[in-house]
This record gives sequence, C-alpha cells and structure tokens, in this order.
Amino acid sequence: MTEFLKRLLKTPQGAIGTFLVVLVLAIVVFGPMLAPYDPEKLSPLARYKGPSLMYWLGTDQYGRDIFSRLLIGARATVVMAVLATIAGTLIGALIGTASAFLGGRADELIMRTIDAVMSIPSLLFALLVVNLLGSSTVNALVAVAIAFAPGMARITRSVALSVRKQDYVNAAIARGESSAYIIRREMLPNVIAPIIVEMTIRVSFAVMLFATLSFLGLGAQPPAAEWGLMVSEARRYMHMSAGILIWPSVAIAIVAVGFNLLGDGLRDALNPRT
Amino acid sequence: MSNTEMTNTENNPVLSIENYSLDYETANGPFHALKTIDLSINRGEILGLVGESGSGKTSLAWSIMRYLPKNAREPGGRILLGGDNLLDKSERQMEAIRGRRISMVFQDPSTSLNPTLSLGTQLAEVLMRHRGLSRQQAWKEGEERLAHVGLKTPAQMMHRMPHEASGGEKQRVVIASAFACNPECIIFDEPTTALDVITSRQILDLFVELQAETGVASLYISHDLALVARTAGRVAVIKRGDIVEQGTVREIFTNPQQDYTRELINAVPDPAHRLVKDDVAVTDKPLVKVENVSVHFGRKSFLAALTGKKTERVTGNNAISLSVNPGEILGIVGESGSGKSTLAKAMTGLNRFEGKIWFDGREIRNLGDMDNAYRKDVQIIFQHPDASLNPRQKIFEILSRPLKLFGDGSDLEKQVGDMLEQVRLPRTHANRYPHQLSGGEKQRVAIARAFASKPKLVICDEITSALDVSVQASVVELLLDLQKASGTAYLFITHDLNLIRQIAHRIAVMYRGDLIEVVKAEEIDSPDRADYTRRLIEAVPRAAAQFQ
Repeated sequence: MTEFLKRLLKTPQGAIGTFLVVLVLAIVVFGPMLAPYDPEKLSPLARYKGPSLMYWLGTDQYGRDIFSRLLIGARATVVMAVLATIAGTLIGALIGTASAFLGGRADELIMRTIDAVMSIPSLLFALLVVNLLGSSTVNALVAVAIAFAPGMARITRSVALSVRKQDYVNAAIARGESSAYIIRREMLPNVIAPIIVEMTIRVSFAVMLFATLSFLGLGAQPPAAEWGLMVSEARRYMHMSAGILIWPSVAIAIVAVGFNLLGDGLRDALNPRT
Repeated sequence: MSNTEMTNTENNPVLSIENYSLDYETANGPFHALKTIDLSINRGEILGLVGESGSGKTSLAWSIMRYLPKNAREPGGRILLGGDNLLDKSERQMEAIRGRRISMVFQDPSTSLNPTLSLGTQLAEVLMRHRGLSRQQAWKEGEERLAHVGLKTPAQMMHRMPHEASGGEKQRVVIASAFACNPECIIFDEPTTALDVITSRQILDLFVELQAETGVASLYISHDLALVARTAGRVAVIKRGDIVEQGTVREIFTNPQQDYTRELINAVPDPAHRLVKDDVAVTDKPLVKVENVSVHFGRKSFLAALTGKKTERVTGNNAISLSVNPGEILGIVGESGSGKSTLAKAMTGLNRFEGKIWFDGREIRNLGDMDNAYRKDVQIIFQHPDASLNPRQKIFEILSRPLKLFGDGSDLEKQVGDMLEQVRLPRTHANRYPHQLSGGEKQRVAIARAFASKPKLVICDEITSALDVSVQASVVELLLDLQKASGTAYLFITHDLNLIRQIAHRIAVMYRGDLIEVVKAEEIDSPDRADYTRRLIEAVPRAAAQFQ
C-alpha cells in the first residue's frame, strides 16, 4: 500500500491530483465547521461586495458570504458526484462483465442495447430521466448514475473479454463453478484496476453534469448552496459583481481538474509496467 | 584444447566480449544482470549460449546490439566487434553498424515483422539503407535472397503480407534480411522456439548451411541444450549472469566440469531412459473412451441462418476415437494447431463437441451430461501457471475451491496444507499470492488443485513447456510419483517427443485435427509407423545419443 502511494506520488499528475482531491475532501468533511458565516443569512447592506478581509471572496446578490457558501456547498456537489459515479460504475461493471462472460447471442443483445442507449448524449439522457422522475437531488443522482452505466459497461466488457480468455476462468468452468461465482470472484477482481481509473476521471464529468442540471434548475433547488446552482443564480447579476459567477466556477474546475489528474496518476501507478 | 583450436582458425576473433558487466537500476537497488563476461567468437564459428530463463542470455544480446533500457548501467568491460569497441560508439554510429555489420534474428517471426508492410518492403528496406541500392535493385536483390533461403516462389513472396506466410516462411524472410548485408556477426535469439518441430528442423538445417557458406560468426542463444548440440561448435553455459562453463560441445556433454552443467544435461529428457513401467493392463473396459468426437469452431451468423446460407466452419477435431485405461499415461503429440488442446477442452466441457465420450461406463453426449461427478473425476492442468491461477486470489482460496465443490469442505486449513505438502511445497505458501511464487512452484499449485478432488483422469495440457528444463524434470517426477500413489490416469499433451517417450505408455499422434495413430511408446520409432510419425521422430534432436 505504501509502495503504491509512492508510485502514485512520483508522477506530477498523481501528486497534484492527490493534493487537489485531498483538499476537496477536507473541505467536504470540515467545510461546515470552518465557514465563517451562516450561508443563508441575508445582509441587504452588504450586497455585491468584492473580496475583503471581512468577506474573503465577497458577497452575492443577497449579501450572503460566497466563501461560506462554497465551503458548505462542497458536500452537496462533490458527495453527490462521487455517489452517482460509484452507482453508475457498479451497474456498468456488472453488466459489462456478465456480458463478456456470457458471450455469443446474449453478449450481442446486451451490447447493442447499450449502443442504443449510448447514442443519446448523457446530458440529454439525464435531463430525460429527471423530467420523468421530477426534479430533486436524489433523482438527479439516479439520472447521472444511469447516464454513466452504459459507458462503464463498454469499458468493463473490453477488459473482461481478455480476462475471459484466461485459463483461470477456464479452470473454474471446468470444475463446474456457477456463473455468478466466476463473474464475482474470478473476473471482477481482475477488471477492477482500469475501472477505478475510469471512475476517477468520470467523477469530474459527474460534477460538471450535476452543475449543469442544477444550472438548468433540475437538480438542487434554491436556496441550497450547490455550486452549479450558485453559478446559475449568479448569471443574472453578473454585471453587478463578476465574483459571484467566477468563484463557484473556479471551485467546480478545481474538483474536475483534481479528479482528472488523479485518474491519470492512478492509471500509471496501477500499471506495473510504467 | 579450445585454446589451440582458436589460434588455429584465426588470431583475431570477430566478436569478443571482455570483462563485461551489466546492472539494472531497480527500486530495490542494482540488479546484476551480467557479471564479468568473457566470450569470443571467431569467423565461421557458432557459439551456443545456453541458460535458463532469467539467466541474462537476452540481456547479453541487447548489450551487443547496444539497445539497452534506460535503467541499464555498465560498470565495466569492452565489447569488440572486429577490433572496434561498441561501448564507445554513439547512437548514430550504432545505427550504421546494426544491420550492416551485426544483425539479429528473433524468437518469434510473427512479432519481429511489421504486420502492415509486405515482406518485400521490409527486406528491401534493409538493402537500401545499408547497401545504398535503389528501390528496383533492392527488390531484385531481395528476390535473390529469398530464393537463397529456400523459398519456392520468391517473387510472389516479396509481395505477400506477413499474415499470408506461414511461421517457417516468415522466419526464412527474417534470416534472409539478417544475412542480407553479409554482416560479420549474427545473433540468433532462440530462432526456432516459436516454430513447430518439423519446421524448426528445416530452419536449423538452413541456418547451418548458410553459416557454413558465409562464414559469419554466430552467437546462438537457446535454452535447449539438445538443439545447441546440433548446431554449435562451442557452448557457453550461463547461470544468473555468470558464464559457468565454456568448451566444445563434446567436452561439455561428455565431461562437464560444473554441477550446474551436469544438472542441465541430466534434465534433458532422453527417450532411451524410460521412467515408467509398462505394467498397465489393457482391459475391455477402458476408463475413458472417446468415440468419433469432432469439434467445430465458429457460430452460424444470424444473417446466414435467416437466408439459409451454408457457413464454412473450422474443424478443430475430426472424428477422434481413442481410449485411456485406468492408471495409464496416454501421450498426445502433434504440432501446434493439430487439435491436441481442442480435444482436451472438449473432454473437460470447455468446447462443444459432436460424438460420444464414455467415462467409467457412463455415456456423455454433450456438455449438459457433464455433471458434478464427471467434473470431479476429470481434471485439467493448463500450460501457463501464470494464466491458470487467478492473480488476485491467495493460494489458500485457489486450493480451497475444489475442496468446497467436491470434498467435505471441513477444516480447510489442514486440507490445503496437506495438499501443498503433497506437491512438496511448504504449508506457509497458502498465504501467498501467485506472483510471489516461481514458475515451477505455481505449476505445482495448479497440480495440487487438480488432485484436490481425487480425480480418475488428469489432462495435462503442455504443462511443462513453459518451464525451464531443470524445473520441468522435477515437475515430471512429481507427476509420476502422484500417479504411483493414486493410480490416476493421465492424458499428457505435449510437443516434446523426447519427454513423452520417457513417460507415456502409449502415444497418440495428431495432425491437423486428425488422429494419425495410437502406438505403444517403445514402438514409436519402428519403421512400420505412419509417414508423418516418422518425419516427426526424425526432426527431433536427441542430445545424449549423439555423444554415446
């Protein structure tokens, strides 16, 4: 484990990615404790303030402290993105591995269905799901998870296909193991490494997808401090103070870049040949 | 004696390696790949370099070619090619030397040729680059070269792509391009290992012929002592980066000085020295009877099924019939693609088949008839232990699965320990992962797994061919001991004829999916055998017999 960390931190992508992700996770955990103000406390006299010693990142159109709102909103934004990615990955990995194991007609049927689903852009697909289920945070999570599953299934299948040809899977079939055991114990542990890499990269997509959904008014609802929602609300007051729009966007960008770099670093660290 | 010989042939060796060492920087400190190597090859001489995997043979080849990974360090020594120290050459100077003055032939022709360029383009490229010929001249010269290496239709061969030529033809092209610029020295890195028995014999004959004709100094790297004995004049034995012994082939074989050399020679299977007694009773009731079993590959496409179009299927096995008696070792030999493994897979339920298999009086017509009892009695061991043991499972989990499926599943820890001891591994290995074991140890674990269910028939699919000779000998010994103790019958699939003649009671010969014949092991070299069997036997080098 320590050796693995060493390998991860050796590459610049891995080191920067790890640093950013740890920073974001620290804000998720300790953010509400550190926030200097109540994020929903309006102060009509201190609207559109620029950064100052009192309000580090300034205030928004209702005079709420942007820094506090970002610290508290991290939980809603990042945790949701991570949960949605994990859910989507699990569904996709199971479908992909099962499809590779079954092979033949069943594989064909599953993969063509997935192709059909994948032909719809993931944002459009998520919008569709949210529209059908109604707009709420949980439904947005379900939508993103479902939108991610087909892509993960594809990636998992291609890895699982090469694992399927390995003799330890043949050995398991020859001794009469059940399909469920072979998929779960023999194949899944061996396809996990590329899936983890892909998952980290997808977390950043999820953050952006959530932000987009909230921006369109289909995710978190005001006055929640979700970052995408903050950008959306700030849009109309942009000409009064650019900071309202810029700071939440920067926060989203940092999370996206952090997870992306971590994914790159993990890819190198998990591959012993580099 | 070798000294006098050297001075007689020529005073200046073509290639001489003096006091050369090579280290690899690794995370755990430097790894000494080669230790103060001293070698020299004269004009017209073939030096065989023999060693097991990991002994540094290939590292030495790459040091001579000056193509080393970035973490390589060279603490000292010189590599002289015709008097020039290659260690002092710049990368640009080396580019002019490689292919022109020194060239190399690799193990696998299918990976050493570029699959997207025609064979002619690749051969002409060498001639244009190093001999300054124009395109047309190079092409014409290339055709001549191909004719020279015994290819029947050189003009057509030049236009073919690598996948349109057989393995033997491709290796001939590679050899032609190695000889193309009349280099001073050629390195052959296991040039026949990836080829079939008969093809490799032909390639070997070609090599000896070309070598005698051109007088090029050759370094012949191989793990196979018997093979080196056929080609080389002198042999150097390398062990963990150290040259332990050097001498003429006769000296090495008849009077080896080092224990390690003796071990290597003794580990080479010798068909004259049988390891089993011929005491198997041939009964009317064999353990397994395979009746007209055929295997076809490829599935009917949906479209073809709709239109009723006939699809051509590839035949893996063509109506095979054979039987194995209780406690018998039946060897199956044949070239790659002859359907040996296909038959093994059909018998273990990994391939669909047509025909019947009778096992212990029970009739099995398809995969559905293979119930738990059949799977318990018929076990398979695969060729590569790396692939057949799940890298993410500990040995304990790997070995406890068959116990849970077929045994009582109680006190697994003790049972797994007993199984490990049975294959002569320490009990503590249960807590390890496969990658923490050596190749031989991994194969022992695979053997233990197969024997966990106390089977009546064990199918061994090329289980020794991925192992070094000395390890191979100990694995075979283990198998024979287990067989004596349990009376299990073996279906032993291999391409190593010398080995199978040592251990099998009967041998089945297969060729392109057909069963040629099944004969008693000691009668396989009689002149009454089928034509193909005789060719197979003739192609196999027998090291020990040559010097006795």
